[in-house]
Amino acid sequence: MEDLKQKENPPKWAIRFFRCYCNDHLSDAVLGDMEELYLRRKKKLGKRNADLLFVWNVLCFLQPFAIKRKSSPQNSIAMFENYLKIAWRTMTRQKMYTGIKVGGFAIGLATCILIFLFIRNEISYDRQYANQHIYRLYNVWRGPDGDKWTSFPANIHTILKNDYAEVEKAGRLIPYKWFNAGSNLIRRDDRVDNTYEEGFAYADNELLEILGIEMVYGNQSDALSKPGSIVLSKKMADKYFPNEDPVGKIIILNEEKTKPFVVGGVMKDFSTNSHIHYEFLITLTNVEFWPGEQTSWCCWNYNAYVKLRPDTNIPAFEKKLTSIRETYLVTYLDKQGDQSVTDVKKYHFFGAQPVEDIYLKSDRIADELQHGDVRYVWLFGGIAVFILLLACINFINLSTAKSANRAKEVGLRKVVGSVRSYLVKQFLTESLVYSFVSFALAIVMVILAMPFFNSLSGKQLSMPWATWWLLPSLCLGAVIAGVIAGIYPAFYLSAFKPVDVLKGSVSRGSKSSGIRSAMVVFQFTTSIILIIGTFIIYKQMNFILNSKIGFDKEQVIMIQGANTLEKQHDAFKNELKQLAEVENATSNNYLPVYGTNRDNNGFWKEGKQKIDKPVYGQYWYVDEDYLSTLGMKLIEGRNFNEKLKSDSGSIIINQAMAKAMGYKKSVGERMGNGRIYYSVIGVVENFHFETMKGEIRPLCMVMGKGGNIVSVKVKSKNVAGALQSINQVWNKFMPHQPFRYTFLDESYARMYDDVDRMGKIFATFAGLAIIVACLGLFALSAFMVEQRSKEISIRLVMGASVKNIFRLLTQNFVKLVLVSFVIAAPVSWYMMDKWLQDYKYKIAITWDVFAIAGVMSVLIALFTISYQSISAALANPANRLRSE
Amino acid sequence: MKGTYLGEFEELVLLTVGILFDDAYGLAIADELEKQTERNVMISSVHKALVRLEEKGYLKSHMGGATQTRGGRDKRLYTLTQAGIKVLNQSKELRNSMYKQVPKIVWGG
Repeated sequence: MEDLKQKENPPKWAIRFFRCYCNDHLSDAVLGDMEELYLRRKKKLGKRNADLLFVWNVLCFLQPFAIKRKSSPQNSIAMFENYLKIAWRTMTRQKMYTGIKVGGFAIGLATCILIFLFIRNEISYDRQYANQHIYRLYNVWRGPDGDKWTSFPANIHTILKNDYAEVEKAGRLIPYKWFNAGSNLIRRDDRVDNTYEEGFAYADNELLEILGIEMVYGNQSDALSKPGSIVLSKKMADKYFPNEDPVGKIIILNEEKTKPFVVGGVMKDFSTNSHIHYEFLITLTNVEFWPGEQTSWCCWNYNAYVKLRPDTNIPAFEKKLTSIRETYLVTYLDKQGDQSVTDVKKYHFFGAQPVEDIYLKSDRIADELQHGDVRYVWLFGGIAVFILLLACINFINLSTAKSANRAKEVGLRKVVGSVRSYLVKQFLTESLVYSFVSFALAIVMVILAMPFFNSLSGKQLSMPWATWWLLPSLCLGAVIAGVIAGIYPAFYLSAFKPVDVLKGSVSRGSKSSGIRSAMVVFQFTTSIILIIGTFIIYKQMNFILNSKIGFDKEQVIMIQGANTLEKQHDAFKNELKQLAEVENATSNNYLPVYGTNRDNNGFWKEGKQKIDKPVYGQYWYVDEDYLSTLGMKLIEGRNFNEKLKSDSGSIIINQAMAKAMGYKKSVGERMGNGRIYYSVIGVVENFHFETMKGEIRPLCMVMGKGGNIVSVKVKSKNVAGALQSINQVWNKFMPHQPFRYTFLDESYARMYDDVDRMGKIFATFAGLAIIVACLGLFALSAFMVEQRSKEISIRLVMGASVKNIFRLLTQNFVKLVLVSFVIAAPVSWYMMDKWLQDYKYKIAITWDVFAIAGVMSVLIALFTISYQSISAALANPANRLRSE
Repeated sequence: MKGTYLGEFEELVLLTVGILFDDAYGLAIADELEKQTERNVMISSVHKALVRLEEKGYLKSHMGGATQTRGGRDKRLYTLTQAGIKVLNQSKELRNSMYKQVPKIVWGG
């Protein structure tokens, strides 16, 4: 029957389509006409052609004169105005709810915006090098204790350029403290006073070209090509050579007048989102740090950057690099008779890392650069989304909870002809209004919180007002957030049946209490996870700062830049020791905190160099006051004695070295680095000289003099007074050099800046999450009290005590918080266990953290609801019952 | 006043409405136009002209006269208004007077 009819008539879909666009004035008449025409054609031309012509006709009517007009625009504007008016009235009528809705939402949004800015900054590093085929080379040790590091021997750049056709350019960089790299005293040759500056590095001229460093003065092609040339950043050029072209001017470093540097050019300052930041680049042309250094394979101190041909296949290139090992390294080791050569053949490989990945995707390649962590980017992104979700949940929760108050409005609107889509539109509009107000508030919050956030994240972020996409994307964000937060309430509220509502039989919002509970649980789970995380990070930080680290970092002042004292070194040190406030002083380059020298040497027992594999360890030059000034403990043997001539051949090792060497009793054993051998006179207790992420590694100390840093142990608590007297001594010796000092404990703490920062960030997030969750809980409890006000009044009249009422109102919420705790505890345990795995020396996760977090969250929740509950329990029941 | 000008096609449609008198609806008008002018006439252009003419006030319409062939749908039946009659007369007079002004020699040639 249906088929038959279908055969008689033109295609249904075409009719439906026509109806959907054509206005009422024409649709019936035109359809009639077309159908008449269709029947006529079908007789003449057959159904197929008639069908086609019918469709063609339908399409022909797709013209302005026939198309439906939207219901008159004036009317919809009026409706819209009404929506806004109602939204405004609801907002002002319930100030508390509005405040919580908007405030909570704004907090969530502000957090999101800040984290977005943070992430945007993190991923913006070195973007200009993307797909430019610029790589940094690194070593990979694919053996036990796998390792990746970036240093290469001095002649790496010539090898790369001669042996590899893929390499267009190759340049070297010395990025860490080494000779003049790091920090120096600096002055123009026509001035007397020195200034201390940081940010020195050695570089080849080709590096300027590889990294495309833009020049203000001088040329990229030859700024560093002459021996003894130096390139200044714009900032430093402005400081030392204001308003002039410094090219060709002379600079003296560290009062070394025999080795002046000539300014070869001025480069633009490195942008903040670059993986390297240097103020001074010193040329490597004709530089040789010691005789034979440039051709030897003994010492690996150079980082290598290359620009490859665009068609280079990276994995193949990395494989080809292995020939460096075969041709050069193995030959060298064989000649030395080094026993590690078999391991090298098996495990030593090379890799190339795109420069744009260096900052964020460090891939565990060890270098001395500052890195971001891709994991934190994800983590923070996740937290931002969660906090925004919490805020959205508040919004949804409150909207549905207060639905009873809007039910009558919905009912009435429906009775006077509003259809569901209008109501959905109304509630979405309302939620958009909230959303836009919240966005405005959030932006204000972001601007206010920016300085705090910057100090927290160690960055210089700001709102990118100048970018074209900021405002559109904020608006888009507001719309999306508004729709997401408003869509559930909109559909929930608009579904009320007018008859039920007006009869008063709509259950007052209790229907969705299951969903509401789930949301409260979700909020508190997130909060508790963050609280536990914060606790554990702080405990670990506390452990790091206060655990036994093997030396005494309190009240030690490090006087920097003491290398310029030269021959007066001992005199200066001795004069310091004479001061009443000073307990002891030592002078060297090596301290157990960052920013002091490190190295890596192979050690053997005497005579075993060609038999045993080397033990790698630190090789520090110290004086006899070192151990006592830093409070290190000798567990075997004795300290150096400068009066004993023989002690220049003595060595003190740490426990890790003794263990690695396999000594049972170390004193008297002889060991060395292959060139010089020493007899062990003492074993010092292990102390942390690197971060606690790694195990304490072997280390040994021999006698030496001089150094960059004079460390002073202060006797009295009056550090300020001591500083003053030390300063006086300094000025007597070095009138033209500023007195610069740091505190050992501060330098030590700075090694753990990232942990500290993590802790603070977690604490902030936890605080925010708790605030948002509590705002929601507070509003919910207020709502619940309101709902049950009659019940409470009757209970009170019947003789219930305040305590009873309080328990009645709070026990449900407390139950929810407990459920959250049960969910949060294992999740956070798992997460924090993962985090702690980064550390070799770490705290155990104990139950008390969970107990404290649990009790805390219950207390916070109780405190939040108790205000409403107690005020409900104390209210005079007569007032409430009377009003009915 | 905007849109009182009468186009050539509109004039033809207006005249056809007059010819068909009490059964002037879209398809009939299109048929009649095809017959009279031997042009191919699109139903959509007829309706477009009708809407325009009604807006200009030369036509008025009502629904009625449903038949089985139309799937039981009413026609929109158009009739001339006084303004429509007037504008047809004006246009005819204009043509006549202009025709008369053409020198005889033109016709003779």
